[in-house]
Amino acid sequence: MEEVILRELAKLNAHLPKKRISLKEALENPEIELADGGVHRFKSSELELLKTLLPEKDWESLKLPILIEMNPKFGKGAGRIRGLLECKVVAKLLGKRENEEMILYLPEIAELRARLSTVTEYFFTA
Amino acid sequence: MTKAVTTLSPTRMELIRLRRRIELAQKGHDLLEEKMDALMMEFLGLARRIRVLRKEAFAELLEAHQKLLKCMAWMGTLETVEASLESLREAEIEIASRSIMGVRVPTVQAVKISRKLVERGYSLHTSSALLDEAASRFEEVLSKLCELAELEEAIRRIGWELERTRRRVNALEHILIPRLKSAVAFISFRLDEMERDDFVRLKRIKAMLEAREWRK
Repeated sequence: MEEVILRELAKLNAHLPKKRISLKEALENPEIELADGGVHRFKSSELELLKTLLPEKDWESLKLPILIEMNPKFGKGAGRIRGLLECKVVAKLLGKRENEEMILYLPEIAELRARLSTVTEYFFTA
Repeated sequence: MTKAVTTLSPTRMELIRLRRRIELAQKGHDLLEEKMDALMMEFLGLARRIRVLRKEAFAELLEAHQKLLKCMAWMGTLETVEASLESLREAEIEIASRSIMGVRVPTVQAVKISRKLVERGYSLHTSSALLDEAASRFEEVLSKLCELAELEEAIRRIGWELERTRRRVNALEHILIPRLKSAVAFISFRLDEMERDDFVRLKRIKAMLEAREWRK
């Protein structure tokens, strides 16, 4: 049973991309390769929404997918967003104050995921 | 469980090893619980969206059907069927996949479903404007049905993953961690017992040596 659990933990973050791409790159080709070998496609409607939230000069710097870091130490269901531009986008969407690092709670994450389901991704840390 | 405990060697090394395993299992449990919470959030979010979308799609379908019935009454059933056979039945739909915490779900996006009058293929001279209206309503609802199909497949797969993760969390919480804890308790108890044994033995030896001294 322990082996199964260890295997499960090992593939907890296997859905993350091999390399994050910029919004500009995503607008040209919305597909990224994942660590587990799969392909993830960003929805064009979500990329269009991101375009409206940031000035064109920042399109190159915003890396996608935006990672929501889930760690038990943040509390049950809470996640962290890191990065200036990532936080800027999330703050604008959720009507929160911008910061370099943001802690989002369950209802906020639910709202964020409902609006940006393909350009955000969970990332588990211990 | 008793069998597993009795086969353990009650040593300090084993105790340290077991404590490390408990720590790992606890960490794994916390992480999988986080994943389960996130999956549940996705599941509920999808369920909410599906409920709204289904309601909207059914309302729109009903409206489209009513338009079609009106058209049939006006143009005649045969003529409407004829026009439908003449029309082009191609719709551009993009099917790709996305990942939600490792669960691969399809994305179905209607690229080009709404068509112009001339693109539909049936004769505009012999058909009524009611047919155009019905066709455009059906085209509108088709893109909604694509979205609904995507969400329903996503919720089915997430539900399955949720069940699998819950099984793992329960196995850790109710089987593995308690088993490891009872093994730690058993070894601690045995080590304490052995320590007490040694202490009593040393006291006995000391008493015997002292008695021997006295006899001399």
